[in-house]
Amino acid sequence: MIGTASEIVVSPAQHNRVTLRRTLISCAVLAAALLSAIVLMSLLGSEQLPARASLCALASFGTSTCGLTQDQFDILFQIRLPRIFLAAAVGGSLATAGAGYQALLRNPLAEPYLLGISNGAAVGTMIALVFFGAMEWTRPILAFTGALAATLAVYRLARGRAGATPERLILAGVIVTTFLSSVIVFVTVLMDATRIRSFTFWLLGDLSGTSKALLPVTITITIVGALALTLHARSLNLLMLGERDAFDLGVEVGRVRIVVFVVASLLVGSSVAASGSVGYVGLVVPHLARLSLGSDNRISIPAASLGGALFVIVADTVARTVIAPRELPVGAITALIGAPLFIYLLRRS
Amino acid sequence: MFTRRDSYLSVLVWLAVVVCLALISACTQRGTANPGASREITDDAARRVNVPAKVDRVVSLAPNLTEIVFAVGAGDRLVGRTSYCDFPAEAKAIAEVGDTLHPSLERIIALKPQVVLVSTASQLEVFTNQLEGQNIAVFVTDPHDLEGVFRSVGQIGEIVGEQDQANLLVQKLRERTNAVEAAVKQKQPVRVFYQVSGEPLYTAGHDAFVTDLMRRAGGDSVTGDVPGAWPKYSNESALAARPEAIILPSGGSMGEANSRVAEALRQSPAVLQGRVYKINDDHLARPGPRSVDGLEEMARAFHPDAFKK
Repeated sequence: MIGTASEIVVSPAQHNRVTLRRTLISCAVLAAALLSAIVLMSLLGSEQLPARASLCALASFGTSTCGLTQDQFDILFQIRLPRIFLAAAVGGSLATAGAGYQALLRNPLAEPYLLGISNGAAVGTMIALVFFGAMEWTRPILAFTGALAATLAVYRLARGRAGATPERLILAGVIVTTFLSSVIVFVTVLMDATRIRSFTFWLLGDLSGTSKALLPVTITITIVGALALTLHARSLNLLMLGERDAFDLGVEVGRVRIVVFVVASLLVGSSVAASGSVGYVGLVVPHLARLSLGSDNRISIPAASLGGALFVIVADTVARTVIAPRELPVGAITALIGAPLFIYLLRRS
Repeated sequence: MFTRRDSYLSVLVWLAVVVCLALISACTQRGTANPGASREITDDAARRVNVPAKVDRVVSLAPNLTEIVFAVGAGDRLVGRTSYCDFPAEAKAIAEVGDTLHPSLERIIALKPQVVLVSTASQLEVFTNQLEGQNIAVFVTDPHDLEGVFRSVGQIGEIVGEQDQANLLVQKLRERTNAVEAAVKQKQPVRVFYQVSGEPLYTAGHDAFVTDLMRRAGGDSVTGDVPGAWPKYSNESALAARPEAIILPSGGSMGEANSRVAEALRQSPAVLQGRVYKINDDHLARPGPRSVDGLEEMARAFHPDAFKK
């Protein structure tokens, strides 16, 4: 097996060395990197904008055009920035959810995409699109429902008499993923031919259809979800010792499990509803966070949230510029970067 | 590990596999020689296709090909069509063989056609080999422009033995095309954005049939140089292109799926001046006789003053 629970278990001694200060410093560094990525990546796109005027307009928060034409101003503030914010929200959501699943299930391979949870959300979104196409707000709700149903299905399938082993969990994920994939294929076949193409693109993860109405909802869910899981980081640390030990140490195991399942499903649901299934983010980013900052969830969860946002912003900039004015699905880029990086991490550890 | 019974079972299974394979190979080699004389016609994939002298059973695997077969007066010889083939109305009475991408091989073979017409969009190599193994000719059409459509009409006319009617049809279509091109010849081309779908944004690129059609109609596709036929297009590039007209292929078999202009184009000159045109997708996306209808509709939209009586 590619890594066991013991690898990411934290000893209580190591615990105490981690101070609030260290968390704050790492998060401040990552937040600064995220902010500069937002600014820098908004200067890149299929259309060339004057850099100095764009920076000036960004610094004025859009109150001044700084000599940009109306079209350039609209490109920057109506198209690029909303898309970058969506990329940040989607990346932050998926990485936070991944970190949460990995800690709760004590499995380094637990990831929304690999466990079929993204597919559950995708089925929910498709149902919303097919039956309530005009009502945008139904998409995240049904996506959340789908994600939660898939999470519970995987969890129940994985839990044998001997408890959930990492192998069993991945197998359960494979079963749920393939089952839901066939549901998706079935729904696409029922749909008319013209919508199939846009669906296949969306399924691979695509941020171009940024909905102005849903963007604030997606961002809010990301921030609230990341905070909620960070607040449960101490319990999750103890859970990594095993459910029984955690229970003996006073962790309300059942309640924490429900919180993580619901919050992670909410995060996955809102990001899939907005952008389809962007893979590997929930796997690679929490791993990087743990490798560089240690496996204390009080640091690794908020670091994964910020790092995920950073990762998807950069990946999406590649997706929208590399063959401009054509575009690639961002999921293809995250997988392209993510899979080799993941193999490298596995070989190193 | 293995009991005696298991080994008997495995022998039985192997026997069954061998028998099945033998039966399958016997079946696939059953093809009979072509009766009577045959002709050789070169198709758009540069394949030399052997077609029987007299063709009276044809299957069409694309809606534009079905339309061409009917237009050259051979609708009565069409024995199979796809679920997308809905024009002319008589076509709907013909047996369905699945859709363009997933035709049922069994059903096609059961219909005993002499020729199967495919467009490259639906062409599947394995599928073609299997049909040819049954001595069914597979004829590929791949028109990239209006000239290609005229060629397809001629070829299909030749296959079904309706050469005269096909020539007459091509002549009429050419006259109408020439009339349109003459009318818009002196006009400044209108900068057009062709919106295949709004969210996500897809458009017609360099290789799309409709790009040629827009040019002939006095339009200049702002995405005409983008590689590929149906590229996913950048929102900001669409905004920056500032098209003077937008075409929304909609209606027809597409329904109302594409009836709203993409958000990035809401402030474009085309929208501000009310120059958004919904044109029947079947006239634009199916390279067939009705493409000339699409050509006329677009030309009238781009240059209304050129057609005033």
